[in-house]
Amino acid sequence: MIPRSTVQVEVFDIPFDLKVTCHSPGTSGAAKMSEGSNVPENLMYNKEHEWVRIEGDLVIVGITDYAQNALHEITFVELPEVGSTVEANTECGLVESMKASSDIFAPVSGEITEVNTQLEDAPELVNEDPYGQGWMMKIKPSNLDEEKKALMDSKAYAEYTESE
Amino acid sequence: MAEKLKRTQLYDWHRKHGDLVEFVGWEMPVRFTDIREEHMAVRDAVGIFDTSNMSRFIIKGLQAREFLQTLTTNNVSKLKVNRGHYTTCLNDNAGMHDDLMLYRVEDDEYIWVTNAANGPKIHAHLMKHSKDFEVEVEDKSRDITMIAVQGPMAMSLLNKLTVQDLSEYGRFTCNHVKLAGYDCYLCRTGYTGEDGAEILVLDTPSTEEGKRRAIGFWEELLKQGENLGVKPCGLGARDSTRLEAGLVLYGHELNEETSPLEARIPYAVKFKVDPHYIGYDELKRQKTEGVEKTRIGIVMIDRGIPRDPYPVLLRGEPIGEVTSGVMSPLLRKGIGLAYVKPGLVSNGDIVEVDIKGRLRKAEVAGWPFYDSEKYGASRSV
Repeated sequence: MIPRSTVQVEVFDIPFDLKVTCHSPGTSGAAKMSEGSNVPENLMYNKEHEWVRIEGDLVIVGITDYAQNALHEITFVELPEVGSTVEANTECGLVESMKASSDIFAPVSGEITEVNTQLEDAPELVNEDPYGQGWMMKIKPSNLDEEKKALMDSKAYAEYTESE
Repeated sequence: MAEKLKRTQLYDWHRKHGDLVEFVGWEMPVRFTDIREEHMAVRDAVGIFDTSNMSRFIIKGLQAREFLQTLTTNNVSKLKVNRGHYTTCLNDNAGMHDDLMLYRVEDDEYIWVTNAANGPKIHAHLMKHSKDFEVEVEDKSRDITMIAVQGPMAMSLLNKLTVQDLSEYGRFTCNHVKLAGYDCYLCRTGYTGEDGAEILVLDTPSTEEGKRRAIGFWEELLKQGENLGVKPCGLGARDSTRLEAGLVLYGHELNEETSPLEARIPYAVKFKVDPHYIGYDELKRQKTEGVEKTRIGIVMIDRGIPRDPYPVLLRGEPIGEVTSGVMSPLLRKGIGLAYVKPGLVSNGDIVEVDIKGRLRKAEVAGWPFYDSEKYGASRSV
């Protein structure tokens, strides 16, 4: 979901681009950024820091713990319309935090069958429970077998976030 | 992170306690805890900000006044010793090189505080024009730490650092005082809409000793302010507090193509000045004939946050663009500033903001966006 496949969040309305650096706050209690983020084994991931879970003939999508940590204080989530079709790796929504504004990309192509409407009033669910109540959308995939080859398993994603 | 990013004297403290980001070539804290918490500390208690990345020039000499009047739009003749004013520095076309605070500290000595992003440009501009005047320009940016102390409890906090009674120093004064044993200029100004001060802590250069002194002062503010609810604040809260107050930011609302009349900061502009400043004639023409664009405030009615450079529409027709936006912690709505064609909308009108292809309703609103009876420097409760 994060543009240009790094956590260079295109930011914030302080002038010009802010980039999230790789080290995390120390003793202030602020969230850790790159270390220690939770990467569940049973999910697949893309370089935009989104997770994908295959459930029956549907794909459930959200953003990773790493992504929610980097964004912090999420204030607004814009999701695609139910019934619309999305194409893999194209923009289909928006996550806003106090710190940054970031696009959501569809990890696979298909039709949107459901979006998490709870996020309209409670966008903080993405911070609190990114793999559970903070899920974003369900897609009925049209080309999953091919497109899932481009996704990473948890081990590869963990390595990817460490290299960022 | 690239090595070449600049760091303030407080960097070591920020690195330990904050979440760092790059900001116009500086490595600065965006937050220490939560941006909203830091924001609310400024509105309800007191927050402290490291603003040492801004540039500070000392300008002195027999012709300092004439020199500064040539370069800035407010009336320098009316600026008394130990006072500061907000002003702008124009190019020939009345676009802004920068906005700045100018403080007069002696008869012939002024301090020019300019945006971090514009420091080198302004320094070159000052040096170029200083040749025509009996004046010296000295860049003191690296020798002085600058800390903004902002919020309704800001002056209570600062009063704890001195036996002197600071209440004699009203808004927009600038005085040499000792705070916690440090030589400082106490400037009763800020960028949050709240009461407070911007403090120039003298003799805190970027040496080990200077950094130790700067961090010592910062930590003293935190220690003395603990029971007042003080919080260290990062760039996130700096942006959200200035936006709630409707204050402009260079690179967003201000640039070389925008005049102070278009930006609607008329208090920074005077026309009965001598000598005339650079850009005077064009600015005067705009005052007489009108401007091409004008700044407005917007508060979202629909969900969403207006962001630079989302289009602003009136009944489906594009009329301008957003220049800044944020989720307002006080209003719990998206707020923003935009430039539109003049004469089309006024406060209370409904416009649409094109948020990534979806038209979202917003109301045109004046600033500050908060209720100034309850918040800000002129609050009554």
